[in-house]
Amino acid sequence: MAMSKRIAIVEDEAAIRENYAAAFRREGYSVDLYDARKPAMDAFDVRLPDLVVIDVNLKDDVEGGFDLCRDLRSRASELPIIFLTARDSEFDAVSGLRLGADDYLTKDISLPHLMARVAALFRRLDAMQKPQGEENRITRGDLELDIERMTVRWQDNAVGLTLTEFWMVHALARYPGHVKNRQQLMDAAQAVLDDNTITSHVKRIRRKFVAIDPDFAAIETVYGMGYRWLSD
Amino acid sequence: MNLRRQLLLVSLLTLVLPWAGCQFIRETESALREGQQQMLSGTALAIADSLSQFPDEFSIQPTTDTSGQLYGHPLASEPLIDGYFDDWSLPQESLRSMRGVDGPVEFAIGLRGQHAYLYVDVRDDKLVYAGPGANVVAADIYSDRVMLISGNESQITSVFDFVAEAPGSLVAINRTGDQRFVEPRISAHWEDTASGYRLEARVPQHLLDSHLGVVASNTGDKDDPGIRSSSFSGRVPGRLAMTSPLLQSVIGPYAQPGLRLIITDRAGWRLAQAGDASRSSSDTQSNEMSSRWMLMAYSMLLEPGKESLLAEPHPSGREQQTYVARALNGERESSWFRSSSDGRAVVAVAQPIWSGTVQTGVVILQQGTDAILSLTNQALTRLMNFTLIATLAAAAVLLGYSSWLSLRIRRLSGAAENALDQDKVQVELPSALANDEIGDLSRSFANVLRQLGEYNQYLRSLAARLSHEMRTPLTIVTSSLENLEHEALTDEAAKYTARAKDGAVRLQKILNAMSEASKVEELMEHAESERFNLHDALTSTVAAYGDAYRDRYFSFDSNSANIEIEGAPELVIQMLDKLAENAVEFSEPDDSISIRLSLIAADAVITVSNPGPPLPDRMRTQLFDSLVSVRDTNRDKHLGLGLFIARLIAEGHQGSISADNIDGGVVFEVRLPVARPRQS
Repeated sequence: MAMSKRIAIVEDEAAIRENYAAAFRREGYSVDLYDARKPAMDAFDVRLPDLVVIDVNLKDDVEGGFDLCRDLRSRASELPIIFLTARDSEFDAVSGLRLGADDYLTKDISLPHLMARVAALFRRLDAMQKPQGEENRITRGDLELDIERMTVRWQDNAVGLTLTEFWMVHALARYPGHVKNRQQLMDAAQAVLDDNTITSHVKRIRRKFVAIDPDFAAIETVYGMGYRWLSD
Repeated sequence: MNLRRQLLLVSLLTLVLPWAGCQFIRETESALREGQQQMLSGTALAIADSLSQFPDEFSIQPTTDTSGQLYGHPLASEPLIDGYFDDWSLPQESLRSMRGVDGPVEFAIGLRGQHAYLYVDVRDDKLVYAGPGANVVAADIYSDRVMLISGNESQITSVFDFVAEAPGSLVAINRTGDQRFVEPRISAHWEDTASGYRLEARVPQHLLDSHLGVVASNTGDKDDPGIRSSSFSGRVPGRLAMTSPLLQSVIGPYAQPGLRLIITDRAGWRLAQAGDASRSSSDTQSNEMSSRWMLMAYSMLLEPGKESLLAEPHPSGREQQTYVARALNGERESSWFRSSSDGRAVVAVAQPIWSGTVQTGVVILQQGTDAILSLTNQALTRLMNFTLIATLAAAAVLLGYSSWLSLRIRRLSGAAENALDQDKVQVELPSALANDEIGDLSRSFANVLRQLGEYNQYLRSLAARLSHEMRTPLTIVTSSLENLEHEALTDEAAKYTARAKDGAVRLQKILNAMSEASKVEELMEHAESERFNLHDALTSTVAAYGDAYRDRYFSFDSNSANIEIEGAPELVIQMLDKLAENAVEFSEPDDSISIRLSLIAADAVITVSNPGPPLPDRMRTQLFDSLVSVRDTNRDKHLGLGLFIARLIAEGHQGSISADNIDGGVVFEVRLPVARPRQS
């Protein structure tokens, strides 16, 4: 195995920090732990980690995680950043993602799911550096899914989706016309999400497509059941 | 009783004002009356003094039997001798009555000029005439007859017999001493009537003595000597009482408008009369104008007296009123009367007349109180007007005031109730700036509402806050458990770990449910409203329920396939989810849950009904509040948030939600306004 990936966890709750660290270490990552913004930034000045997991609420600093994310993003545009927080409000999620985070996870997520997310992010990062392969692509009309890199294109324009969103689009587009219920979408996204969160995710996905193509209507809501991808 | 009625009732108290005024007027009136009485007493005393010099005019002989006395009524005009009483210018009551065989015998004696007049009305079932050609002068003649008996104190001096041969004019037979002869100076007329006969006669006064009596003799047949009805019971008739021209001339000057003088002898027989109490100089026309209700007011408000008709000179010629009777006994007495028809009062004084130590008679003065009447009349009218205006004004002001008060209170209570219903925290209550008690009430209401609002807000955010605060420790538990799974555990330990994890998962579900409400609120804020067909959305949703709840039967029907509303479809569906969930939880397996969509007025009405236990009344309004559950069984993960979320969504769409019991079950109803017709 090559040099292990370094993951930085910025979390003020010691027990959670240590539990996450143990899980990551078990997966073979090396982990740096910080309990506040200041020590984390000091350390990042010296050396950037390969991935950062940030809690929004940091000691005495209610939105310290957001500030940290903004700082980091300005310094390293490619650095994968995951918010892992108890704050599950829609507004917080939108703010976090707008600051350039790659994913916004609530602490409901199980450790195995978290591990999967992190692994996926690394995989995408790796795939970005490799030349693009044909075999891992799904094309549905205007939609083009690169499963390796976890990127989406619509009418040849890149659609900036988070991992969760990507997996949802993937689950829907793989079998066009089939209704995917919320549970299925949740499983695909490897997350524990409530109905309203799924609804907001779908909305956000639609909005991102609509930003490119105002006539976008490929994701249909089937009331009471779920969603389906309509191919042309 | 509401405030307005209460105050209106209180305003009735102003009616005390006219009452007090009336009391005052009464007092005034009786004081005036008394004054008048005293003045009259003075006058009466003076007249009595001046009359004491005419003792001869009063028949002061001690007449032991006054019952046999007759009164010679002064006649205003000369009557025709025709058997009719009409032209006597006397009231019917002037007739004296005595007992006859077949009924009362009525008679009267009148005086005019040098003649005395006799009128007799006899009831007689069987008339017996002397017959034509009979010798009426004969002593043994049998017939119905009338006798006029004249005499002095000691003996009968002459008897005049009226015997009819037939109806019509007849001659009188003079029986003075033993002689019997036709008296041509007397003219008489006999008239048959349905019940008997009437006799009218004119007798020159010089034929008569001082005492006079009337006898009617009723004969049955030839052999019947006749039964006599007599005006006197003694040996000789009573003295004929009559007016005295001298006394009349003496008192004449005293008569004034509204003042009546009457002089009587010791027996009460009227010797002279002047003036009239009921007529007054002041014109009574104006009083007529002051309408009928004034009279009613009089009779109700003023002190009622004896009927004033009683004060009139007695038609029999003999004054018999109580106050006169007492004056006849030597005491000065006064009295007063009031007319029930016009409210006029008559003050009367009776003053004995003394000649030396002997009481010769009584002078009676009566004065009509026209002056008092008009005085009180004016005062009363004014009082009535003023107090009526005052009462009306007071009532109107009080009514207005109370209306205003109750309006303020009703507005306040309405606003408070409204604020309570709509769960408003900060609310502008009416009268909040007022300085009075209602202002205080308003401010304390606002305070209570604010505190209640804060409490509700706290309760509403409690779930979200709790879930947020508990999420971190829960994460510690779950992540620790997940890490623990990677450790070498004994089978026993693994079992416990698994159980702990189950528990943690359940806890997590509960926390998610708790934060759902705040998420819905948040979604609602950011939701983009779109127009969608509610019917289609519900059709597909209810179809999905069949799969989700396999042990219930779901039915959906709708009276219109084209009901569109503005809103967030996911949220509306979520609301329906909550209602369906609620219906499932309250019903038993294999029960039917029916969902209906109908268009009522401008509302899309969704009802979800299920069989099951009825809702307790006391919970009906709280049902849709946060953390309220009417469930008595403690089933899994039920926090009473489902219906709260349904309400949030319904109200977020400008709709409403309500619950009701129906026969054997429960129905929930959501009303959402339909979208305005699309402009084409």
